[in-house]
Amino acid sequence: MKKSLQGLLTLLLALVVQIGFAQEKTVSGTVLDEDGLPLPGVNVIEQGTSNGTQTDFDGNYSISVAPGDVLVFSYVGFQQQEITVTDSDVYNVSLLVDAASLDEVVVTGYVTQKKSDITGSLVEVGEEQLQEYAAASVDQALQGNVAGLAVSSSSGTPGSVANIRIRGISSITAGNEPLYVIDGVPISNGNVNASDATSSISALAAIDQSTIESITVLKDASATAQYGARGANGVILITTKGGKYGTTRFNFSSQVGFQNDAIDQPTPLTNAQRLELAGEAYWNDNRDFFASEAEAVDYVLNNVGLFPQWDADGRPESNWQQVLSNPDALFQQYSLSASGGGEDNRFFASIGYLEQEATVIGSAFERISGSLNFSKDFNPSLKFSSNNTASYSFQDAFLERSAYFDSPRTATYFMNPLRMPYNDDGTPAEIGGSLPNPLISTRDNFNENRFTRIISGNSLDWEIGGGFSAGAKFNVDFQLYNYRTYTNRNYGYGVPTSGDASQYDRTNAFYVFQNYLNYDFEINPDHIFDIKLVQEYQSSRSYFLGGAGENFADDGLFYLSSAGTPTQATSSFNDWYMGAYLGLLQYSAFDSRYVLNLSYRKEGNSRFAADNRWGDFYSVGAAWNIHKENFMANAGAVDYLKLRGSYGVTGNADIGLNNYQSLFTYGVDYNGEGAQAVSTFGNNDLSWEINKTFDIGLEFGLFQNALTGNFAYFNRKSEDLLLDVPLSQTTGFATQTQNIGELTNSGFEFQLTANIINTEDVGLSIGGNLATVENEVTKLPLDPNGNERTVTTTITRIETGHPVREYYMPTWAGVNPETGLNEWYIDGEGGETTTNFNEAEAVFQGGNSVPTITAGMNLNFNFKGFFINAQGYYAGGHKIYEGWHLYLHQTNGYPILAYNGYQSLLDRWQEPGDNARHSRFTTAGEPWQRHSKYLYDADFLRLRTVTVGYDLPSSAMEQIGMTSARIYVRGNNLATWVKDDNLLYDPEQDLGGETGLETPPTKAVLVGVNLTF
Amino acid sequence: MKKFIYKGLMVALAFGAVSSCTTEDLEPTLAQSKSVEQSVNNVGNLFSILKGVHSLMSESGYYGQDVIITNEVRSDNTFSIGNSGRYTTESQYLYNNNTDLIWNNAYEVIANANIIINADLESLEGDTDYGAHIQGQAMAIRALAHFDLLREYGQQHTGSGNLGVPIVTEYKGDNLFPARNTIEEVKAAIYSDLEMAFSMMDSQFDDTKVYIPKYGAKAIESRVAVYFGDWSRALSAAEEVINSGMYSVISADSYVDSWQGDGGVNVIFELAASQVDNAGINGLAYMYQINADGSGYGDVVARPEVLDIYEDGDVRLGILDTSGDWIRNTGKYPDNVNFTNNIPLIRYEEVVLNYAEALLETGGDALTQLNKLPANRGASLYTEATKDNILLERRRELIFEGFRFDDQLRTGMTMEAVGTTGNVVETIDYPSYLFAWPIPISEMNANSNMVQNDGY
Repeated sequence: MKKSLQGLLTLLLALVVQIGFAQEKTVSGTVLDEDGLPLPGVNVIEQGTSNGTQTDFDGNYSISVAPGDVLVFSYVGFQQQEITVTDSDVYNVSLLVDAASLDEVVVTGYVTQKKSDITGSLVEVGEEQLQEYAAASVDQALQGNVAGLAVSSSSGTPGSVANIRIRGISSITAGNEPLYVIDGVPISNGNVNASDATSSISALAAIDQSTIESITVLKDASATAQYGARGANGVILITTKGGKYGTTRFNFSSQVGFQNDAIDQPTPLTNAQRLELAGEAYWNDNRDFFASEAEAVDYVLNNVGLFPQWDADGRPESNWQQVLSNPDALFQQYSLSASGGGEDNRFFASIGYLEQEATVIGSAFERISGSLNFSKDFNPSLKFSSNNTASYSFQDAFLERSAYFDSPRTATYFMNPLRMPYNDDGTPAEIGGSLPNPLISTRDNFNENRFTRIISGNSLDWEIGGGFSAGAKFNVDFQLYNYRTYTNRNYGYGVPTSGDASQYDRTNAFYVFQNYLNYDFEINPDHIFDIKLVQEYQSSRSYFLGGAGENFADDGLFYLSSAGTPTQATSSFNDWYMGAYLGLLQYSAFDSRYVLNLSYRKEGNSRFAADNRWGDFYSVGAAWNIHKENFMANAGAVDYLKLRGSYGVTGNADIGLNNYQSLFTYGVDYNGEGAQAVSTFGNNDLSWEINKTFDIGLEFGLFQNALTGNFAYFNRKSEDLLLDVPLSQTTGFATQTQNIGELTNSGFEFQLTANIINTEDVGLSIGGNLATVENEVTKLPLDPNGNERTVTTTITRIETGHPVREYYMPTWAGVNPETGLNEWYIDGEGGETTTNFNEAEAVFQGGNSVPTITAGMNLNFNFKGFFINAQGYYAGGHKIYEGWHLYLHQTNGYPILAYNGYQSLLDRWQEPGDNARHSRFTTAGEPWQRHSKYLYDADFLRLRTVTVGYDLPSSAMEQIGMTSARIYVRGNNLATWVKDDNLLYDPEQDLGGETGLETPPTKAVLVGVNLTF
Repeated sequence: MKKFIYKGLMVALAFGAVSSCTTEDLEPTLAQSKSVEQSVNNVGNLFSILKGVHSLMSESGYYGQDVIITNEVRSDNTFSIGNSGRYTTESQYLYNNNTDLIWNNAYEVIANANIIINADLESLEGDTDYGAHIQGQAMAIRALAHFDLLREYGQQHTGSGNLGVPIVTEYKGDNLFPARNTIEEVKAAIYSDLEMAFSMMDSQFDDTKVYIPKYGAKAIESRVAVYFGDWSRALSAAEEVINSGMYSVISADSYVDSWQGDGGVNVIFELAASQVDNAGINGLAYMYQINADGSGYGDVVARPEVLDIYEDGDVRLGILDTSGDWIRNTGKYPDNVNFTNNIPLIRYEEVVLNYAEALLETGGDALTQLNKLPANRGASLYTEATKDNILLERRRELIFEGFRFDDQLRTGMTMEAVGTTGNVVETIDYPSYLFAWPIPISEMNANSNMVQNDGY
């Protein structure tokens, strides 16, 4: 209080003086730093007015003031200095480095905070780490760098969506995706594709990683509660690059390389193996008919399906796997940027290009992007900034999200290998039957996604004075999405309809308005306060339009105006709105020795009925910087020691639109006329899902911060789950969304970095992180008889006392050595077995598809400009179920007569006494039976990135007019260890829990350069 | 200092004034939907819901494919070769409670029908006679849906138990967790609905066959009565349809072609399909056929002995295709490119056969009625009306339409589970738990008032 009184007195005095001697004069001077070097861009303001200027390149300033006025010199990272104008006309100032500001400043949401003032759990990932992983979207680069964050891609197809889970699964029905925030503004994310069948395309893939300065991941409630409803699953804050005062700098970077599947996919049977197995199957099925197995093989060769033709043709191999793959798929990325600034403005501009082919034929991703971040100080206290990025992405997608026969990935296994891909003259063969040759369909048909995204964030910040500041932000996230398909009329599925085509367009417009008022004050230097009030409004509107048609008169016509028969016209609109009021209080006592952060947010969302629309969210966080205590003054080894804790309530509203209303849909039609049918059961009581998170952590820095790290425990309890509660289907509905059920996630997180060597010539640091998460459903809805309403599928079940969607199925007991038949445990847990699948009880198999342990390790070494960076990732404790095994991995007719099985099937029962993994072959088709034989431990360890490079010496660079140059060779996913040998697919799978026929993750080898001039 | 505080306050006030956001500002738009409670205001709305009900019936989870194919592959007419892996489970009687079959679809139909039936006609705008007709139509469909549920899930052929399915007569009624009613209760509810439906409907409104007509109620009643052996009811119900004079048996010349077109003289009620609205590759044609270019799932083929049930010259042989490795149905639901064939649910021929069987059971002149079919099919006439002859004629006439399974069960035949190569995997003596479908596990998990059928 003393200080502000003084301030007031000074001000009054100044006013008096001003009235008395209102004689203005021009004063000037130079501002230097401690080393005597000029400081450009220092703000020089007449206290209490908007009169001000900035120093020029040489640190010089001049300003018109009256004697007695107080000049305030301020510059980021330096202590503020005040000088009262007297008779002199020249005031040279030397600014001192602000020791407190050496404390790293981190964006923590609506505010930036000094590291010591942070009470929450967050991880900042810098530009270098983000660029270690070559991918279209930046989220892939977070894997392994953030304890407790797990990334799982839905597909390795370039540009497709990755699922991110921070500290486990918090919701069963509502979304589990974190909130993405770019430069302080929430943006929409996720899949933008209009088709459920073709590759997904991520909205995040529209953003060029090379424009990103850093990403901060907020994990606990003290950090995320300010985002209220959408913070429940963590927040990913993206900060884009800005310009700096000074001459314009250019940066050019490029990365070019090739990619292949990260691990070999299952090897299909050769035709010779197929013949052997088919003969054996016929022999097994018809012992009375054939005299010997050899006779059965002869029979197959002469009579069954395509075998006779294949035999006559000299028994060729088709090698569909090689034919349909795109080995050494291209990856290239270029970006050119310029940044700089004048006395009152700063800018960063960039253009970027990225092209990535898939490892399968007929699929690729391309993006061209540009950005301009510009800020202008209208006057020293009024600043405007505008961050703009625009991009156009193109994805050559394909049907990969189920076993679509037209997909090259599917055809690898589903195509009968007795059919040859090429004719004798080398042209692709026009194969009949329900599986057309993908060589032709990928050539003549298309599924294309085009995505244009423009994000423009504009803000005005006004330094009112006296500790007050205010500002406003307006952000537009505008997305234009176009999806086109064409199926040719000459060959394949388009023949019956003489070709067909469709086109769909979606326009998404997201607007965010933010206003804030900030008040910093201190009672005395030992008690510093910062209060912030924020008001926020967000709207999302989505317009969809599309149509389809068939019957084309000629080739080369892809648009609907040429289609003879229109078959579909559709359009729709949907919207949602969010409004919020937020208050933040930061209190820091005794030079941040004690810190208290409070937040309160009131948020309303259109997904709930008017009476339940608003929710209250809050958090309390406290930190104790122990190293600042006097008693630590002599603890020489300890440079930094902080105990922090937080508790808070966040919410989740990520459910479908209009779920609370009881509705008719008019999306049905009958006999060519519009019709209606009930579509939502409705629930007027629907409201927020609540997450209560407790988090405690210890952060430390030892031996001059050579060893830094932290340790944290969290417990996140999700209540009033927005759950699609199973209804008796006699109501006409399968589910109703209700607020019921509870689950918890708890775990430990460690992070440790050791800077072992840190000299001018040599640097070596190693680090790692480890996180555990235990997930348990603790409450589910009951039916009127008090019985729990569990949710069961053929492979999973949701039940209290278990993790969400724990695997649940009959337990396989192996193949009976005498009979060669599969057996299952009747009670699921050992003991008596049965060969009747329906007799076997389904039981929990331990674990779901979400890793319970994740770890990241990294190593950075440099020696005289040479450097090596490496990073590895481990995930474990989870399981994965093999999809499509009925057709590809069972001893029935499908893998040997219709489709094509894996070579692992050769380990099959042949005669009594055989101990084989696979049962006796038969020619028959079997029905679907899902059981534990096809459930695998999914633990894996992966070398995510290795980069070896060289930074050219700066002396050499200067001679050719450059600032720095770096060349490097990079490898991504070069090596993978998988725990379960029986798991033939890549272990890094979508959280759906079942392996699919999507493109697997890739390994890449790239060379790159990075030049600054 | 004060001036900053004033400025701060001013900004704070400006905030509130310019940008305050109220509950109303967060009201979502209803662009594609309307509130159930507020949007049934006139008779036209009832008709719109009725169209929705018919649309739900034509989905592939119900009459679009499932209920017809599931019954066919379990009967001695057809089996699944598993070409695309579909319907092998049913063909081999290996199903378990993970399959929903029509449970959800039929109750969805009932839920929507109940909105129509329970609407207060007096409070609606429009022609109340027409409103009553629509309510009658909804009631007939509700009866049909309850019957479909009963024949699939009821315990009448399992050898023990008397449980049927829950009768649901209200949309969002008081009891959202109903227990199963007995077979007799369900049957009584079906008959009661059908009688009421018949009395409420007026034939003057039956201008197209794609909505259930007045005599459709009687035709369904005859079907249900035959199924349960309520012969006098079957007799009178069938008689009313026949005496209406509105329908006739299709002639031999037109038989095969009649499947190509819609709305034949023999069709009492059929579900509409068109180029832009059909079950597509999840429909009937795609399951029965494989096109020359290889498209088509073609899992379901006829058993070889089907050829033997027809005499040479029987026009019904024209629906079979014997040119490939398997005998296929290419004549019923023939359009396997645009899938535009309507799906007949009630044909006059079935009513005639119901009538003949009821006459046989009650001592009437069954032969005259029975011979109406061979007389119009290029087949020789029967000299005697016996149960076997009637069942044979039913099989010949109604093959691939989903009737045979019920005919076999209600006459206590032994069933065969057939593998993908046509091999008989297992014979199943009557009665068996396998003749009632399991209540879906999702229902069991949601509703503990529900009792599972034995064996699952």
